[in-house]
Amino acid sequence: MRNVIIANKVQLAYPRHEPVIKDATLTVQTGEFVFVTGASGSGKSTLLKSLYGALQIAGGELMVGGIDMQSIAGSKLNKLRRHIGVVFQDYKLVKEWNIEKNVMLPLIIAGFPKEVCQAQAQKLLNHVKLSHKADKYPPELSGGEQQRVAVARALAHNPFLILADEPTGNLDDYSSQVVWELLEKANEELETTVVVVTHHIPEMFHANYRHLMIENGVLYEIH
Amino acid sequence: MKSIKNHLALILPLFAILFAVEYLQILDRVVKMYEERLKAEYTIIVVTEKSVKPEAVQQVSPLIDKVELVDANQVLMRIRQQIGQESLAKLQSVMPLFYTITLHRYPDQKSLESLRKSLMALQGVKRVQMFEKVHHPLYSMLMFLKANVTIFALFFGIVGFLLIIKQMYVWQLEHQERMQIMALFGAPVWLRSGVLFRFAIVDALIALAMMAGLIFYLQRDHRVVAFLSDMNIDVAQLVIPKDFAQLAGVALGTALLCAFWVVARFKEES
Repeated sequence: MRNVIIANKVQLAYPRHEPVIKDATLTVQTGEFVFVTGASGSGKSTLLKSLYGALQIAGGELMVGGIDMQSIAGSKLNKLRRHIGVVFQDYKLVKEWNIEKNVMLPLIIAGFPKEVCQAQAQKLLNHVKLSHKADKYPPELSGGEQQRVAVARALAHNPFLILADEPTGNLDDYSSQVVWELLEKANEELETTVVVVTHHIPEMFHANYRHLMIENGVLYEIH
Repeated sequence: MKSIKNHLALILPLFAILFAVEYLQILDRVVKMYEERLKAEYTIIVVTEKSVKPEAVQQVSPLIDKVELVDANQVLMRIRQQIGQESLAKLQSVMPLFYTITLHRYPDQKSLESLRKSLMALQGVKRVQMFEKVHHPLYSMLMFLKANVTIFALFFGIVGFLLIIKQMYVWQLEHQERMQIMALFGAPVWLRSGVLFRFAIVDALIALAMMAGLIFYLQRDHRVVAFLSDMNIDVAQLVIPKDFAQLAGVALGTALLCAFWVVARFKEES
Protein backbone atom coordinates (compact mmCIF):
# COMPACT_ATOMS: atom_id res chain seq x y z
CA MET A 1 0.00 0.00 0.00
CA ARG A 2 1.28 3.42 -0.95
CA ASN A 3 0.46 6.70 0.76
CA VAL A 4 -1.49 8.82 -1.69
CA ILE A 5 -2.23 11.73 0.64
CA ILE A 6 -0.23 12.72 3.70
CA ALA A 7 -1.43 15.78 5.57
CA ASN A 8 0.27 16.92 8.74
CA LYS A 9 -1.29 19.81 10.69
CA VAL A 10 -2.40 21.45 7.45
CA GLN A 11 -3.86 24.93 7.70
CA LEU A 12 -5.91 26.42 4.90
CA ALA A 13 -6.98 30.03 4.52
CA TYR A 14 -8.17 32.38 1.78
CA PRO A 15 -6.13 35.57 1.37
CA ARG A 16 -6.77 38.13 4.14
CA HIS A 17 -9.07 35.73 6.00
CA GLU A 18 -8.89 33.61 9.13
CA PRO A 19 -7.94 29.95 8.50
CA VAL A 20 -10.88 27.80 7.42
CA ILE A 21 -8.99 24.61 8.27
CA LYS A 22 -6.82 24.88 11.36
CA ASP A 23 -5.64 21.32 11.63
CA ALA A 24 -6.04 18.60 9.04
CA THR A 25 -3.94 15.57 9.74
CA LEU A 26 -4.55 12.38 7.80
CA THR A 27 -3.00 9.69 5.67
CA VAL A 28 -4.87 8.15 2.75
CA GLN A 29 -3.53 5.03 1.08
CA THR A 30 -3.97 3.55 -2.38
CA GLY A 31 -7.39 2.07 -2.97
CA GLU A 32 -9.10 3.75 -0.02
CA PHE A 33 -12.55 5.32 -0.35
CA VAL A 34 -12.81 8.35 1.92
CA PHE A 35 -15.86 10.44 2.74
CA VAL A 36 -15.31 13.89 4.24
CA THR A 37 -18.43 15.33 5.81
CA GLY A 38 -19.18 18.50 7.72
CA ALA A 39 -21.59 21.38 7.97
CA SER A 40 -21.92 23.99 5.22
CA GLY A 41 -18.94 26.34 5.32
CA SER A 42 -16.91 23.95 7.45
CA GLY A 43 -14.12 23.85 4.81
CA LYS A 44 -14.80 20.55 3.02
CA SER A 45 -14.45 22.03 -0.47
CA THR A 46 -11.48 24.11 0.68
CA LEU A 47 -9.72 20.93 1.79
CA LEU A 48 -10.46 19.34 -1.58
CA LYS A 49 -9.08 22.39 -3.44
CA SER A 50 -5.80 22.08 -1.58
CA LEU A 51 -5.53 18.47 -2.76
CA TYR A 52 -5.54 19.47 -6.45
CA GLY A 53 -3.45 22.60 -5.90
CA ALA A 54 -6.17 25.21 -6.45
CA LEU A 55 -5.42 26.59 -2.99
CA GLN A 56 -1.98 26.90 -1.42
CA ILE A 57 -1.64 25.60 2.10
CA ALA A 58 -1.11 28.25 4.78
CA GLY A 59 0.71 25.97 7.19
CA GLY A 60 1.71 22.39 7.91
CA GLU A 61 2.76 19.77 5.36
CA LEU A 62 0.76 18.25 2.55
CA MET A 63 1.92 15.59 0.10
CA VAL A 64 -0.26 14.33 -2.75
CA GLY A 65 1.03 11.44 -4.85
CA GLY A 66 4.44 11.95 -3.28
CA ILE A 67 4.56 15.61 -4.32
CA ASP A 68 4.94 18.42 -1.80
CA MET A 69 1.99 20.79 -2.25
CA GLN A 70 3.75 23.69 -0.53
CA SER A 71 3.88 26.48 -3.16
CA ILE A 72 3.44 24.02 -6.03
CA ALA A 73 2.79 25.76 -9.35
CA GLY A 74 3.44 25.76 -13.07
CA SER A 75 4.41 22.61 -14.92
CA LYS A 76 4.85 20.59 -11.71
CA LEU A 77 1.25 21.30 -10.73
CA ASN A 78 0.01 20.57 -14.28
CA LYS A 79 1.84 17.25 -14.24
CA LEU A 80 0.23 16.26 -10.95
CA ARG A 81 -3.24 17.31 -12.12
CA ARG A 82 -2.91 15.12 -15.21
CA HIS A 83 -3.02 12.14 -12.84
CA ILE A 84 -5.95 13.33 -10.72
CA GLY A 85 -9.62 13.22 -11.67
CA VAL A 86 -11.83 15.92 -10.21
CA VAL A 87 -15.63 15.98 -10.08
CA PHE A 88 -17.05 19.40 -9.29
CA GLN A 89 -20.39 20.24 -7.78
CA ASP A 90 -21.10 22.62 -10.68
CA TYR A 91 -19.82 20.01 -13.21
CA LYS A 92 -17.41 22.41 -14.97
CA LEU A 93 -18.09 21.08 -18.44
CA VAL A 94 -16.94 23.03 -21.49
CA LYS A 95 -20.21 24.35 -22.91
CA GLU A 96 -18.99 24.77 -26.49
CA TRP A 97 -17.75 21.16 -26.71
CA ASN A 98 -19.99 18.14 -27.11
CA ILE A 99 -20.01 15.66 -24.25
CA GLU A 100 -17.74 13.19 -26.05
CA LYS A 101 -15.04 15.88 -26.33
CA ASN A 102 -15.64 16.86 -22.70
CA VAL A 103 -14.92 13.30 -21.61
CA MET A 104 -11.88 13.25 -23.89
CA LEU A 105 -10.39 16.39 -22.27
CA PRO A 106 -7.92 14.72 -19.83
CA LEU A 107 -6.78 12.39 -22.62
CA ILE A 108 -6.30 15.28 -25.06
CA ILE A 109 -4.21 17.05 -22.42
CA ALA A 110 -2.19 13.88 -21.87
CA GLY A 111 -1.50 13.82 -25.63
CA PHE A 112 -3.25 10.59 -26.61
CA PRO A 113 -4.15 10.07 -30.29
CA LYS A 114 -7.68 11.07 -31.27
CA GLU A 115 -8.82 7.47 -31.90
CA VAL A 116 -7.70 6.38 -28.41
CA CYS A 117 -9.47 9.37 -26.84
CA GLN A 118 -12.67 8.63 -28.76
CA ALA A 119 -12.66 4.94 -27.89
CA GLN A 120 -12.13 5.66 -24.18
CA ALA A 121 -14.81 8.38 -24.20
CA GLN A 122 -17.29 6.01 -25.84
CA LYS A 123 -16.54 3.30 -23.28
CA LEU A 124 -17.08 5.67 -20.35
CA LEU A 125 -20.19 7.21 -21.86
CA ASN A 126 -21.56 3.66 -22.08
CA HIS A 127 -20.80 3.19 -18.38
CA VAL A 128 -22.70 6.35 -17.47
CA LYS A 129 -25.46 5.37 -19.91
CA LEU A 130 -25.06 8.44 -22.09
CA SER A 131 -23.48 7.03 -25.24
CA HIS A 132 -26.60 7.96 -27.21
CA LYS A 133 -25.99 11.61 -26.33
CA ALA A 134 -22.31 11.74 -27.26
CA ASP A 135 -22.80 14.58 -29.73
CA LYS A 136 -25.01 16.68 -27.48
CA TYR A 137 -23.73 19.81 -25.76
CA PRO A 138 -23.82 20.29 -21.96
CA PRO A 139 -26.66 22.85 -21.97
CA GLU A 140 -28.83 20.25 -23.75
CA LEU A 141 -28.41 17.79 -20.84
CA SER A 142 -30.09 17.69 -17.43
CA GLY A 143 -28.05 18.36 -14.28
CA GLY A 144 -27.88 14.65 -13.51
CA GLU A 145 -26.67 13.83 -17.00
CA GLN A 146 -24.06 16.58 -16.87
CA GLN A 147 -22.71 15.22 -13.59
CA ARG A 148 -22.50 11.75 -15.08
CA VAL A 149 -20.45 13.21 -17.92
CA ALA A 150 -18.23 14.94 -15.34
CA VAL A 151 -17.65 11.61 -13.56
CA ALA A 152 -16.85 9.92 -16.88
CA ARG A 153 -14.34 12.71 -17.59
CA ALA A 154 -12.75 12.31 -14.15
CA LEU A 155 -12.21 8.60 -14.88
CA ALA A 156 -11.09 8.94 -18.50
CA HIS A 157 -7.33 8.99 -17.89
CA ASN A 158 -7.32 6.28 -15.15
CA PRO A 159 -6.18 8.68 -12.42
CA PHE A 160 -4.58 7.41 -9.21
CA LEU A 161 -6.82 9.76 -7.23
CA ILE A 162 -10.38 10.96 -7.73
CA LEU A 163 -11.56 14.02 -5.83
CA ALA A 164 -15.29 14.64 -5.85
CA ASP A 165 -16.97 17.73 -4.42
CA GLU A 166 -20.62 17.01 -3.59
CA PRO A 167 -20.96 14.87 -6.74
CA THR A 168 -24.61 14.05 -6.17
CA GLY A 169 -25.63 17.24 -4.39
CA ASN A 170 -28.28 18.27 -6.92
CA LEU A 171 -29.02 14.95 -8.61
CA ASP A 172 -32.07 12.73 -8.83
CA ASP A 173 -31.90 9.20 -7.37
CA TYR A 174 -31.14 7.51 -10.67
CA SER A 175 -28.22 9.80 -11.55
CA SER A 176 -26.92 9.60 -7.98
CA GLN A 177 -26.93 5.81 -8.18
CA VAL A 178 -25.04 5.80 -11.51
CA VAL A 179 -22.42 8.21 -10.09
CA TRP A 180 -21.86 6.17 -6.89
CA GLU A 181 -21.73 2.88 -8.78
CA LEU A 182 -19.11 4.30 -11.12
CA LEU A 183 -16.94 5.68 -8.31
CA GLU A 184 -17.29 2.41 -6.38
CA LYS A 185 -16.34 0.40 -9.48
CA ALA A 186 -13.27 2.52 -10.17
CA ASN A 187 -12.23 2.14 -6.55
CA GLU A 188 -12.73 -1.64 -6.47
CA GLU A 189 -11.53 -2.64 -9.91
CA LEU A 190 -8.74 -0.13 -10.55
CA GLU A 191 -7.74 0.50 -6.94
CA THR A 192 -8.26 4.20 -7.54
CA THR A 193 -8.21 6.24 -4.35
CA VAL A 194 -11.40 8.26 -3.99
CA VAL A 195 -11.99 11.25 -1.71
CA VAL A 196 -15.56 12.51 -1.67
CA VAL A 197 -16.72 15.64 0.07
CA THR A 198 -20.42 15.45 0.90
CA HIS A 199 -23.08 16.41 3.40
CA HIS A 200 -24.39 12.86 3.79
CA ILE A 201 -22.95 9.47 3.07
CA PRO A 202 -25.44 7.79 0.70
CA GLU A 203 -27.39 4.85 2.08
CA MET A 204 -27.03 2.97 -1.20
CA PHE A 205 -23.23 2.94 -0.79
CA HIS A 206 -21.99 -0.58 -0.02
CA ALA A 207 -18.20 -0.51 -0.27
CA ASN A 208 -15.82 -0.19 2.63
CA TYR A 209 -14.99 3.38 3.35
CA ARG A 210 -13.42 5.75 5.82
CA HIS A 211 -15.42 8.59 7.25
CA LEU A 212 -13.74 11.86 8.21
CA MET A 213 -15.50 14.93 9.52
CA ILE A 214 -14.53 18.58 9.73
CA GLU A 215 -15.71 20.48 12.77
CA ASN A 216 -14.49 23.90 13.91
CA GLY A 217 -11.66 23.74 11.37
CA VAL A 218 -10.33 20.42 12.64
CA LEU A 219 -10.45 17.14 10.72
CA TYR A 220 -11.56 14.12 12.77
CA GLU A 221 -11.65 10.45 11.87
CA ILE A 222 -15.11 8.98 12.58
CA HIS A 223 -14.37 5.44 11.42
CA MET B 1 -20.64 39.93 -37.16
CA LYS B 2 -19.30 40.32 -33.62
CA SER B 3 -16.50 37.93 -34.48
CA ILE B 4 -15.48 39.99 -37.55
CA LYS B 5 -15.52 43.14 -35.41
CA ASN B 6 -13.33 41.41 -32.82
CA HIS B 7 -10.83 40.31 -35.46
CA LEU B 8 -10.77 43.79 -36.99
CA ALA B 9 -9.99 45.15 -33.53
CA LEU B 10 -6.71 43.24 -33.73
CA ILE B 11 -6.05 43.43 -37.46
CA LEU B 12 -6.39 47.23 -37.80
CA PRO B 13 -3.94 48.21 -35.03
CA LEU B 14 -1.51 45.63 -36.35
CA PHE B 15 -1.95 46.99 -39.88
CA ALA B 16 -1.27 50.50 -38.53
CA ILE B 17 1.92 49.28 -36.89
CA LEU B 18 3.04 47.60 -40.12
CA PHE B 19 2.20 50.73 -42.11
CA ALA B 20 4.24 52.85 -39.68
CA VAL B 21 7.20 50.46 -39.90
CA GLU B 22 7.14 50.35 -43.70
CA TYR B 23 6.61 54.11 -44.02
CA LEU B 24 9.60 54.66 -41.74
CA GLN B 25 11.71 52.32 -43.87
CA ILE B 26 10.67 54.05 -47.09
CA LEU B 27 11.38 57.49 -45.67
CA ASP B 28 14.74 56.28 -44.45
CA ARG B 29 15.54 55.09 -47.96
CA VAL B 30 14.42 58.40 -49.48
CA VAL B 31 16.76 60.25 -47.11
CA LYS B 32 19.58 57.84 -47.92
CA MET B 33 19.00 58.29 -51.66
CA TYR B 34 19.05 62.04 -51.21
CA GLU B 35 22.24 61.71 -49.19
CA GLU B 36 23.77 59.70 -52.04
CA ARG B 37 22.82 62.40 -54.50
CA LEU B 38 24.20 65.08 -52.20
CA LYS B 39 27.37 63.12 -51.80
CA ALA B 40 27.77 62.77 -55.56
CA GLU B 41 27.07 66.41 -56.24
CA TYR B 42 28.67 67.93 -53.20
CA THR B 43 32.27 69.15 -53.14
CA ILE B 44 34.29 71.24 -50.75
CA ILE B 45 36.82 73.69 -52.11
CA VAL B 46 40.02 74.22 -50.19
CA VAL B 47 42.18 77.21 -51.08
CA THR B 48 45.89 77.01 -50.20
CA GLU B 49 48.87 79.27 -50.60
CA LYS B 50 51.28 76.46 -51.30
CA SER B 51 50.91 73.01 -52.70
CA VAL B 52 49.74 70.38 -50.20
CA LYS B 53 49.82 66.63 -50.53
CA PRO B 54 46.33 65.21 -51.21
CA GLU B 55 47.15 62.35 -48.81
CA ALA B 56 47.78 64.87 -46.02
CA VAL B 57 44.37 66.42 -46.62
CA GLN B 58 42.74 63.00 -46.79
CA GLN B 59 44.10 62.14 -43.36
CA VAL B 60 42.23 65.04 -41.79
CA SER B 61 38.94 63.11 -41.60
CA PRO B 62 37.62 59.65 -42.49
CA LEU B 63 34.73 61.45 -44.20
CA ILE B 64 37.02 62.51 -47.05
CA ASP B 65 36.84 60.25 -50.08
CA LYS B 66 38.94 62.05 -52.71
CA VAL B 67 41.15 65.15 -52.92
CA GLU B 68 41.99 66.62 -56.33
CA LEU B 69 43.93 69.68 -57.38
CA VAL B 70 41.95 71.97 -59.70
CA ASP B 71 43.87 72.75 -62.85
CA ALA B 72 44.49 76.55 -62.65
CA ASN B 73 44.91 76.83 -66.43
CA GLN B 74 41.30 75.79 -66.94
CA VAL B 75 40.18 78.67 -64.74
CA LEU B 76 42.47 81.15 -66.40
CA MET B 77 41.37 80.04 -69.90
CA ARG B 78 37.92 81.43 -69.19
CA ILE B 79 39.19 84.92 -68.41
CA ARG B 80 42.10 85.01 -70.87
CA GLN B 81 40.13 86.99 -73.43
CA GLN B 82 38.92 89.55 -70.93
CA ILE B 83 42.31 90.63 -69.55
CA GLY B 84 45.70 91.35 -71.02
CA GLN B 85 48.65 88.97 -71.19
CA GLU B 86 50.60 90.94 -68.60
CA SER B 87 47.73 90.93 -66.14
CA LEU B 88 47.22 87.24 -66.78
CA ALA B 89 50.85 86.48 -65.93
CA LYS B 90 50.60 88.61 -62.81
CA LEU B 91 47.42 86.88 -61.81
CA GLN B 92 49.00 83.48 -62.43
CA SER B 93 51.88 84.32 -60.12
CA VAL B 94 49.66 85.30 -57.18
CA MET B 95 46.86 82.84 -57.77
CA PRO B 96 46.37 80.34 -54.90
CA LEU B 97 45.89 76.62 -55.38
CA PHE B 98 42.41 75.10 -55.36
CA TYR B 99 41.61 71.57 -54.22
CA THR B 100 38.24 69.86 -54.51
CA ILE B 101 37.26 67.41 -51.82
CA THR B 102 34.52 64.81 -52.26
CA LEU B 103 33.11 62.93 -49.27
CA HIS B 104 32.09 59.34 -48.56
CA ARG B 105 28.71 60.56 -47.34
CA TYR B 106 26.91 63.78 -46.69
CA PRO B 107 27.45 64.60 -43.03
CA ASP B 108 25.39 66.63 -40.62
CA GLN B 109 26.04 70.28 -39.89
CA LYS B 110 28.15 69.55 -36.83
CA SER B 111 30.46 67.19 -38.70
CA LEU B 112 30.79 69.70 -41.53
CA GLU B 113 31.79 72.41 -39.08
CA SER B 114 34.31 70.10 -37.46
CA LEU B 115 35.70 69.20 -40.89
CA ARG B 116 36.03 72.88 -41.78
CA LYS B 117 38.02 73.51 -38.59
CA SER B 118 40.30 70.52 -39.24
CA LEU B 119 40.96 71.65 -42.80
CA MET B 120 41.64 75.23 -41.72
CA ALA B 121 44.16 73.89 -39.23
CA LEU B 122 46.23 72.42 -42.07
CA GLN B 123 49.34 74.40 -42.85
CA GLY B 124 48.92 76.72 -45.84
CA VAL B 125 45.13 76.53 -46.02
CA LYS B 126 43.68 79.99 -46.52
CA ARG B 127 40.04 79.25 -47.00
CA VAL B 128 37.55 76.40 -46.99
CA GLN B 129 34.34 76.76 -48.97
CA MET B 130 31.63 74.34 -47.89
CA PHE B 131 28.56 75.47 -49.92
CA GLU B 132 26.42 73.92 -47.21
CA LYS B 133 23.78 76.66 -47.43
CA VAL B 134 22.82 75.40 -50.88
CA HIS B 135 22.21 71.79 -49.81
CA HIS B 136 21.55 71.88 -46.16
CA PRO B 137 17.99 73.29 -45.91
CA LEU B 138 16.42 70.45 -47.93
CA TYR B 139 18.50 67.86 -46.11
CA SER B 140 17.48 69.35 -42.75
CA MET B 141 13.87 69.31 -43.80
CA LEU B 142 14.10 65.62 -44.71
CA MET B 143 15.78 64.84 -41.38
CA PHE B 144 13.07 66.79 -39.55
CA LEU B 145 10.41 64.85 -41.43
CA LYS B 146 12.12 61.59 -40.58
CA ALA B 147 12.28 62.51 -36.89
CA ASN B 148 8.58 63.39 -36.91
CA VAL B 149 7.62 60.18 -38.67
CA THR B 150 9.71 58.22 -36.15
CA ILE B 151 7.82 59.85 -33.27
CA PHE B 152 4.46 59.12 -34.93
CA ALA B 153 5.52 55.54 -35.67
CA LEU B 154 6.46 55.10 -32.03
CA PHE B 155 3.11 56.52 -30.98
CA PHE B 156 1.33 54.22 -33.47
CA GLY B 157 3.32 51.31 -32.09
CA ILE B 158 2.41 51.96 -28.45
CA VAL B 159 -1.28 52.64 -29.13
CA GLY B 160 -1.47 49.66 -31.50
CA PHE B 161 0.20 47.40 -28.96
CA LEU B 162 -2.25 48.48 -26.24
CA LEU B 163 -5.25 47.96 -28.54
CA ILE B 164 -4.03 44.48 -29.49
CA ILE B 165 -3.52 43.57 -25.82
CA LYS B 166 -7.02 44.86 -25.02
CA GLN B 167 -8.48 42.64 -27.76
CA MET B 168 -6.50 39.66 -26.44
CA TYR B 169 -7.98 40.26 -23.00
CA VAL B 170 -11.47 40.31 -24.56
CA TRP B 171 -10.80 36.94 -26.18
CA GLN B 172 -9.31 35.57 -23.01
CA LEU B 173 -12.42 36.65 -21.12
CA GLU B 174 -14.63 34.97 -23.75
CA HIS B 175 -12.71 31.71 -23.43
CA GLN B 176 -11.86 32.01 -19.75
CA GLU B 177 -14.25 29.31 -18.57
CA ARG B 178 -12.75 26.70 -20.88
CA MET B 179 -9.20 27.81 -20.01
CA GLN B 180 -9.98 27.49 -16.29
CA ILE B 181 -11.41 23.99 -16.76
CA MET B 182 -8.43 22.92 -18.85
CA ALA B 183 -6.08 24.31 -16.19
CA LEU B 184 -7.85 22.20 -13.54
CA PHE B 185 -7.02 19.10 -15.57
CA GLY B 186 -3.37 20.10 -15.94
CA ALA B 187 -3.36 21.54 -19.47
CA PRO B 188 -0.12 23.39 -20.17
CA VAL B 189 -0.33 27.11 -20.96
CA TRP B 190 0.15 26.70 -24.72
CA LEU B 191 -2.72 24.22 -24.93
CA ARG B 192 -5.30 26.05 -22.82
CA SER B 193 -4.43 29.39 -24.44
CA GLY B 194 -4.13 27.88 -27.91
CA VAL B 195 -7.08 29.90 -29.15
CA LEU B 196 -5.27 33.20 -28.43
CA PHE B 197 -2.14 32.06 -30.26
CA ARG B 198 -4.25 30.82 -33.19
CA PHE B 199 -6.08 34.14 -33.46
CA ALA B 200 -2.79 36.03 -33.11
CA ILE B 201 -1.18 34.11 -35.99
CA VAL B 202 -4.21 34.23 -38.31
CA ASP B 203 -4.83 37.95 -37.75
CA ALA B 204 -1.13 38.76 -38.14
CA LEU B 205 -1.17 37.01 -41.52
CA ILE B 206 -4.32 38.91 -42.56
CA ALA B 207 -2.75 42.25 -41.53
CA LEU B 208 0.39 41.29 -43.45
CA ALA B 209 -1.63 40.41 -46.57
CA MET B 210 -3.45 43.76 -46.33
CA MET B 211 -0.13 45.57 -46.05
CA ALA B 212 1.28 43.67 -49.03
CA GLY B 213 -1.85 44.58 -51.00
CA LEU B 214 -1.45 48.25 -50.14
CA ILE B 215 2.22 48.27 -51.15
CA PHE B 216 1.39 46.45 -54.38
CA TYR B 217 -1.28 49.03 -55.16
CA LEU B 218 0.85 52.07 -54.27
CA GLN B 219 3.80 50.80 -56.31
CA ARG B 220 1.58 50.82 -59.36
CA ASP B 221 -0.42 53.97 -58.67
CA HIS B 222 0.52 56.49 -61.36
CA ARG B 223 0.26 59.47 -58.97
CA VAL B 224 2.74 57.92 -56.54
CA VAL B 225 5.09 56.87 -59.34
CA ALA B 226 4.95 60.36 -60.92
CA PHE B 227 5.52 62.09 -57.57
CA LEU B 228 8.58 59.97 -56.82
CA SER B 229 10.03 60.29 -60.29
CA ASP B 230 9.75 64.09 -59.88
CA MET B 231 12.21 63.60 -57.00
CA ASN B 232 14.41 61.38 -59.21
CA ILE B 233 13.48 58.36 -57.07
CA ASP B 234 12.78 55.00 -58.64
CA VAL B 235 9.80 53.40 -56.90
CA ALA B 236 11.29 49.91 -57.40
CA GLN B 237 14.19 50.89 -55.15
CA LEU B 238 11.91 51.99 -52.31
CA VAL B 239 10.21 48.68 -51.48
CA ILE B 240 12.41 45.64 -51.56
CA PRO B 241 11.44 41.96 -51.01
CA LYS B 242 13.36 41.92 -47.73
CA ASP B 243 10.71 44.30 -46.37
CA PHE B 244 8.05 41.59 -46.52
CA ALA B 245 10.12 39.23 -44.41
CA GLN B 246 10.68 42.05 -41.93
CA LEU B 247 6.98 42.96 -41.89
CA ALA B 248 6.06 39.30 -41.37
CA GLY B 249 8.45 39.23 -38.41
CA VAL B 250 6.96 42.43 -36.97
CA ALA B 251 3.35 41.23 -37.49
CA LEU B 252 3.83 37.76 -36.02
CA GLY B 253 6.22 38.99 -33.34
CA THR B 254 3.87 41.74 -32.13
CA ALA B 255 0.75 39.56 -32.16
CA LEU B 256 2.48 36.65 -30.39
CA LEU B 257 4.16 38.95 -27.87
CA CYS B 258 0.75 40.42 -27.00
CA ALA B 259 -0.72 36.90 -26.70
CA PHE B 260 2.15 35.84 -24.39
CA TRP B 261 1.68 39.02 -22.38
CA VAL B 262 -2.01 38.25 -21.76
CA VAL B 263 -1.45 34.52 -21.20
CA ALA B 264 1.28 35.20 -18.65
CA ARG B 265 -1.20 37.25 -16.62
CA PHE B 266 -3.84 34.52 -16.61
CA LYS B 267 -4.93 33.81 -13.06
CA GLU B 268 -6.57 30.58 -12.09
CA GLU B 269 -9.64 31.09 -9.95
CA SER B 270 -9.47 29.39 -6.58
